[in-house]
Amino acid sequence: MSAISKRGSLAFLILATSASAVLAQATASPMIPPSWAQGRVEGSTSNLAPHPPGMSALPGAEIPLSKIKLPKGFEIALWAEGMPNAREMVIGPKGTVFASTRFVGNVYAVVEKDGKREVKIIAKGLNKPNGVVIKNGSLYVAELSRIIRYDDIENHLDNPPAPVVVFDKLPKDEAHGWKFMKLGPDGKLYFNIGSPGNIVMPPYTHAQIARVDPEKGILETVARGVRNSVGMDFHPVSKELWFTNNGRDWIDDSLPNDTLHRVSRKDMNFGFPFCHQGDLLDPEFGQGRSCAEFDPPAAKLGPHVAALGMRFYTGKMFPAEYGNNIFIAEHGSWNRSKKSGYNITRVTLDKNTKVKKLEVFAEGWLDGEKFWGRPADVQVMKDGSMLVSDDVAGAIYRISYKK
Amino acid sequence: MTFYRGAIAAALALQFIAVGPAALAADAASGKNKAQTCLACHGEGGRSVNPFVPSLAGQPPLYVYYQLLQFRDERRKNPIMSPVAVGMKDADMRDMAAYFAQEKPAPVSPASNPELVKAGEKIAQVFHCASCHMPDYSGQNHIARLAGQQRDYLALQLRGFKTGSRPDIDGTMASAAQPLSDQDIDSMAGYLSSFE
Ligand code: HEC
Ligand code: HEC
Repeated sequence: MSAISKRGSLAFLILATSASAVLAQATASPMIPPSWAQGRVEGSTSNLAPHPPGMSALPGAEIPLSKIKLPKGFEIALWAEGMPNAREMVIGPKGTVFASTRFVGNVYAVVEKDGKREVKIIAKGLNKPNGVVIKNGSLYVAELSRIIRYDDIENHLDNPPAPVVVFDKLPKDEAHGWKFMKLGPDGKLYFNIGSPGNIVMPPYTHAQIARVDPEKGILETVARGVRNSVGMDFHPVSKELWFTNNGRDWIDDSLPNDTLHRVSRKDMNFGFPFCHQGDLLDPEFGQGRSCAEFDPPAAKLGPHVAALGMRFYTGKMFPAEYGNNIFIAEHGSWNRSKKSGYNITRVTLDKNTKVKKLEVFAEGWLDGEKFWGRPADVQVMKDGSMLVSDDVAGAIYRISYKK
Repeated sequence: MTFYRGAIAAALALQFIAVGPAALAADAASGKNKAQTCLACHGEGGRSVNPFVPSLAGQPPLYVYYQLLQFRDERRKNPIMSPVAVGMKDADMRDMAAYFAQEKPAPVSPASNPELVKAGEKIAQVFHCASCHMPDYSGQNHIARLAGQQRDYLALQLRGFKTGSRPDIDGTMASAAQPLSDQDIDSMAGYLSSFE
């Protein structure tokens, strides 16, 4: 309701919907159980553990792209390699493709030169720099607890300027602290502030989609009850925000689903930690509650699939029926005895508001129960082809269509 | 420990199916040659006899590879080990990791303090340490082998995770170490270093 802190010009913040607090001080208590252990069944002897993060790049020649299956007429090719842990992508006005990382602290820039592509590391040593946005020629990077900006970046790829701090009052929790960031039609930066653990009662500052006005340094809540979103985009026609959300772990192999959401009004609450996937009360936090209190998802995507980056298809290269479809990069499960996800999923909408159909568009990263790569984000190029980042192979692929 | 037997067999069977990213090519024989300079500190075959130098024998190859990346890229720092990793090539790291992985771990010396071991066993259960490190503490993928590791080294690392002076890759160990008291850490180190 009111501003509360003033530290430097950008440092005062307002929470639009409820009482205010300095987020930096709202780090969840260290005494809550460690994230992965929350919600485990007592006495369980499961040895499922989060997969090894992608830390190095597969040499291009060893990337088995021939295993990828696509619908008829589509083709996939290696587009750029040698980028350990490449995650979210954004394309600059001059065509530079920027790729973030979650674990290795780098931000990459891929430029085309004489028909060849060159990968440059434009930033190193950042803290989980998973979110990237381009606005007015500046590259905005969301780190774990702050947003920084590299001005006029495409003209300075070989000598990037020192970053300017845009906003540094975000929570410092490691669990679900890395951010997917997207520029809104209103010029604001949209991102997730995830639940500080698998299944906990989050402080009101967490488990939400938030936005920052980068000029004024004002932080607002966009939607609540969101466990952790690592992918979002604005509908090209309605301009509404759609986002993916990762469901909790340790209920079982089939529940709950990851979900796709549409933000159609202010103050929506999608249920975490009380209700998952719109119709499943949490075994612990759901007691005495009802899913009817919350806004349901637009679609269930499958249990533990780890739905990450998503984009609307706005290009002209793919067949007309792909127009304004959603593509989702499913990173693939860890908390499931049989692996699922590891694909690019296509979502067709009805009247831009409802999900009509879900289907697998590209698959083959999973080979039996082994994976050689994991899709992390998708991005539509000017020519209508689609890039796919893979944070295990450390590469970017290009999917194109020929009649 | 009999309680765990069945689970160990099941877990070992699983380990071979559940490996993460497709194994990167590595050559253990050439790794053996490259690793000769390491043995002065890490011991014959990677079986350390120095309380503050970790054994590498029997570590999952991905764990050793990732730790070398962490040292080379200056995310994990140590005045003795960091200089060794400067400029190291990815392929050499993978070869040496493959070599140490196939070496037999050092025989475990019996616990000097059975009380610590008892306490450690309990803590490990409460905090699900074996869930990631495996019931026999042999590690998996990027997760370290802990069985028979040097006791003082283990205690130092756990304190490091707790305070953040040893950063971990994905934050899981930092959060795993948060609830451990000083006493818990000593018990865990005693328990794990004598684990067979
Ligand atoms: C001069 C002594 C010395 C030499 C030589 C040396 N190391 Fe180390 N190494 C250390 C010490 C000490 C540590 C523990 C660092 C710490 O406490 O963080 C260490 C840690 C490591 C670790 C992390 C192990 C773990 O359990 O986390 C790896 C992997 C490693 N060294 C590999 C190597 C390799 C490979 C070589 C040879 C190329 C090598 N070291 C040579 C002293 C040495
Ligand atoms: C969710 C999985 C997970 C759990 C649970 C877990 N660990 Fe770990 N542990 C890891 C990972 C991953 C690493 C490697 C850390 C890195 O450097 O990124 C590690 C590393 C370690 C190391 C460092 C080993 C070395 O050679 O340097 C110690 C010691 C350790 N763990 C002890 C414990 C103890 C004690 C517990 C229980 C309190 C525990 N771990 C629970 C995942 C886990």
